[in-house]
Amino acid sequence: MKEEKRSTSGRTMLGGLFFIAGLIVALIVGWVVFPKVLYSQKTQPMNFSHAAHEDSACEDCHYFLPDGSYSGTPGIENCRQCHEEPMTDSEQERILVEEYIQKDREIPWLVYGWQPDNVYFSHAPHQAAELECVQCHRDVTADEEKLPILYENRWTGYSKSTMKMVECEKCHAERGASNACQTCHK
Amino acid sequence: MKFGRRAFLQFAAGAVGGTLLSPLPWKLADDSAIWSQNWSWRPSPERGLVSKVPSTCLFCDGGCGIQVHLVNKKNAIYIEGNAANPVNQGGVCPLAASGCQFLYAPYRVSQPLKQTKARGDASGFQPISWEQAIGEVGAALGKMRTSGNSQGLAGISGRPRSSMFHLWRQFFSAYGSPNLFQMPSHADSLELACMLTLGHEATPAFALERASYVLSFGANLLEGWGAPARMQSVFGQWRQERAGIAQPKIVQIEPRLSLTATKADEWIAVKPGTQCALALGIAHVMIKNHLYDDFFMTSQVVGFEDWIDAGGNTRQGFKSLVMQNYAPAQVAEWTGVAAARIEEIAGQFAAQEYAVAIWGEDGGKTPDNIYSDLSFLALNLLKGNMQPGGMVSLVPPVPLEVLPEVQMDQWAYRGLQQPRLDLTQTRQLPLPGNGLYAFLDTINRGGSPYSVEMLMIYEANPVYSLAENRLIKEALGKISSVVTFTSYMDETALQADLILPNHMALERYDDVIGLPGVPYAYYAVSRPVLPPRLQTKHTGDVILALAATIGGTVKGSLPWKNFEAFLQSRVKGLAAAGTGALAGKPGVQPWALQSGQAPKSNYKNPKDLWNKLTSGLCWYGPPVDALQQINTASGKYELACVSLQNRGVNVEDAAVYLPHFAPLTPSGDAQAFPLLMMGYRRLNISSEYLANPPFMTKTLWDFLLKGNDLFVEIHPETAKSLGLKQGDRATLTTPEGEVKVRIRIFAGAHPGTVCVVHGLGHTAYDEYIQDKGININDIIEVQMDPITGMGTVWATRAQLARA
Repeated sequence: MKEEKRSTSGRTMLGGLFFIAGLIVALIVGWVVFPKVLYSQKTQPMNFSHAAHEDSACEDCHYFLPDGSYSGTPGIENCRQCHEEPMTDSEQERILVEEYIQKDREIPWLVYGWQPDNVYFSHAPHQAAELECVQCHRDVTADEEKLPILYENRWTGYSKSTMKMVECEKCHAERGASNACQTCHK
Repeated sequence: MKFGRRAFLQFAAGAVGGTLLSPLPWKLADDSAIWSQNWSWRPSPERGLVSKVPSTCLFCDGGCGIQVHLVNKKNAIYIEGNAANPVNQGGVCPLAASGCQFLYAPYRVSQPLKQTKARGDASGFQPISWEQAIGEVGAALGKMRTSGNSQGLAGISGRPRSSMFHLWRQFFSAYGSPNLFQMPSHADSLELACMLTLGHEATPAFALERASYVLSFGANLLEGWGAPARMQSVFGQWRQERAGIAQPKIVQIEPRLSLTATKADEWIAVKPGTQCALALGIAHVMIKNHLYDDFFMTSQVVGFEDWIDAGGNTRQGFKSLVMQNYAPAQVAEWTGVAAARIEEIAGQFAAQEYAVAIWGEDGGKTPDNIYSDLSFLALNLLKGNMQPGGMVSLVPPVPLEVLPEVQMDQWAYRGLQQPRLDLTQTRQLPLPGNGLYAFLDTINRGGSPYSVEMLMIYEANPVYSLAENRLIKEALGKISSVVTFTSYMDETALQADLILPNHMALERYDDVIGLPGVPYAYYAVSRPVLPPRLQTKHTGDVILALAATIGGTVKGSLPWKNFEAFLQSRVKGLAAAGTGALAGKPGVQPWALQSGQAPKSNYKNPKDLWNKLTSGLCWYGPPVDALQQINTASGKYELACVSLQNRGVNVEDAAVYLPHFAPLTPSGDAQAFPLLMMGYRRLNISSEYLANPPFMTKTLWDFLLKGNDLFVEIHPETAKSLGLKQGDRATLTTPEGEVKVRIRIFAGAHPGTVCVVHGLGHTAYDEYIQDKGININDIIEVQMDPITGMGTVWATRAQLARA
């Protein structure tokens, strides 16, 4: 009888070990492996150094159009205003001038905050509500030399930093802005 | 230690626990909500800079100013109204809002196609080059001409309020054919009614913006009547609360409870086809109670009192005829409206200073019985609406540059001497107009004195949209060659031998000359908002190319380099006339202009005018009083149509000269077909040249169209007598044919009628359009007006039986 008891408690201990092993493996997979596997790393077609453009104002490239809509990702027409010819020996500037400006091709920038087609987002009311850019976008004023890697969700296709609906709703609720469907889904 | 089954289960339990404590399942569950948004096969519009290009809508005759939203200046994504345009004031109808679906439609014709098999076989169309297409048509036209059969060319044109029609007419005249017709419209009969009464072709216009009482004899104001977007904004104004201004009263007189009737102050459910009798009944009460301007009616009008004809005989006047035949008791019997009610309406109509009577049951899509048009005009005349500054004026002509005189050679001269095919020895119409039906009838009966070798069809789909379309189908079979100029593979294009695809409405220059029923002068230009997507060619340029291929005087009569140059030349005349101005910002009110009061011109020269017109501004000018340009022999309004005397009308019948109630009897046995089938239109169903785009079809109720089943409306009493229940499947039979439908029991339908919507039941286009419901034009009957030869439509005898 005693032996049997001992044997049962040994099995329980061993069983606990298997359970804990399973738990730890799953936790490692869930917390460490999964996030790495879920996102692929994408680099921009060329680098853009915000630090190198410190002499320009943000609004030189990120501005509102006369009709009140936002200009979006800056196109090469913005770049052309200064970089019709290379201004430095930078390799990246050479790529900009030779591959894009001279060939009149837009740079296929990857957008970190790409929103779905069914979302209507306008920058204008957010600016009017005096929201800081960094509330939603990364801070590029701190001498950003290199554009960050874009983590693309392999399943959904969206960037890791694409804001989800819950974040929009939370901020709208906090600030008393409408959360009615048609506010964003027109 | 052994990793057995028990150990595995313990490990798995731990793994499940660990997984649940990690973000993995929760993140995936959250992402699954947006996972489907980026499926590779899901269509996604290109992103980029959105710009707006102003232009003029060409999807109907309404002349709306539009703004087309383009992404990266090349992809149209959205059409909205131009707030600076006084006609639509920023609004658009569902058709314009769906307009981009036509641009990218899979059923667009992408290049010239030639039929190599039997007509109607879509697989037989072979692509050919434009050079070959124009060469072949040009050679065939040249051969017909030199063999003395230029009159054997016939044409059916859509878009009559466009310079394109003037170009077609110039081409046909120079070529030597009198056989150019338009798709039918209410303007056809209205023009003739004005010809009889005022002595010149014009159409009436109504100052609805300042109306205080609207007596609408079936005018479906919210379902496409007149200029649709103008009516939407006028209706909106009527229903606005304005301090110190009473809302106008709208009385809708029609058998069916239409959308307009539901929004009216009163709906008078008159018996089908008797609105004209009611108008004359109201005239009777007004005359009886002396509620009219006696001096005006006797001094400015011929035929109100008894009159003397050219032979010296005394003829009955309108007053006497109406007093004799249209007493309320009699009219009540015809119309089903109580005599006391008729007296009451007449009193209200006469008492209101800004009361107006309007009519046109089919949204302006079909000509009316000429005597109906004359009767409604007479009611307005009696009210004093045609006096200077009155509620009824004429759609003002637009002073565009007149086309150069046609150069005629012997072939053209000879061809134009030949009888037009709506007028033959067997059919002498007293008052010929746009006789498309008479033309088809001549061909179908084999009554043409010469052979029709080629038929050109421009921006029209008569095989689908012509009422009693059997007539055109039959006629096509008797014409050797059919050439269509369309952007879409529609029912008519399928029956063509050659399709010469036109640029789609957003890809081309075109114009809108005047608006139906609108009292101020209007002109607007449509310009290409984006480059042509496909290998299409502007039909105007094709006409010029054909003229150049034929050469000689035909080429000489059409001297323009291209259609754009032609349009610019027309605008020069407009600039020189100096009678109008451009509306460039919101708030311009052309309807507030008085007759002869030209607004201050705000363009420098013809080039400046052209530039402004092509940048989305429209031109407007003052109204024209109905009696301002009277051109009758008497110099007065001829209420008695004296000119019919010279037109071979049976002069024995006194009523023939006067507006009267003369319903045309539908054919078929009333026993076998005890019901009357009536068509109705909706603003969210396109029923003419353009097919109903899927965006609009989605807006239809499932008690109108469910799957592919079309519901027809019948009154509960009618349903009871026929033993039909809600949703039943039934066979609808008319003398023209039978179709399968489903039943909607609707108390708004008039007892004894079957109401069928127009615009569904296409057989061409693509899977999203074809086979949805039935096409009423397949089973509708047209009655030819004995005076004008025009095909009028009001009701067709029908029978419903459970299927």
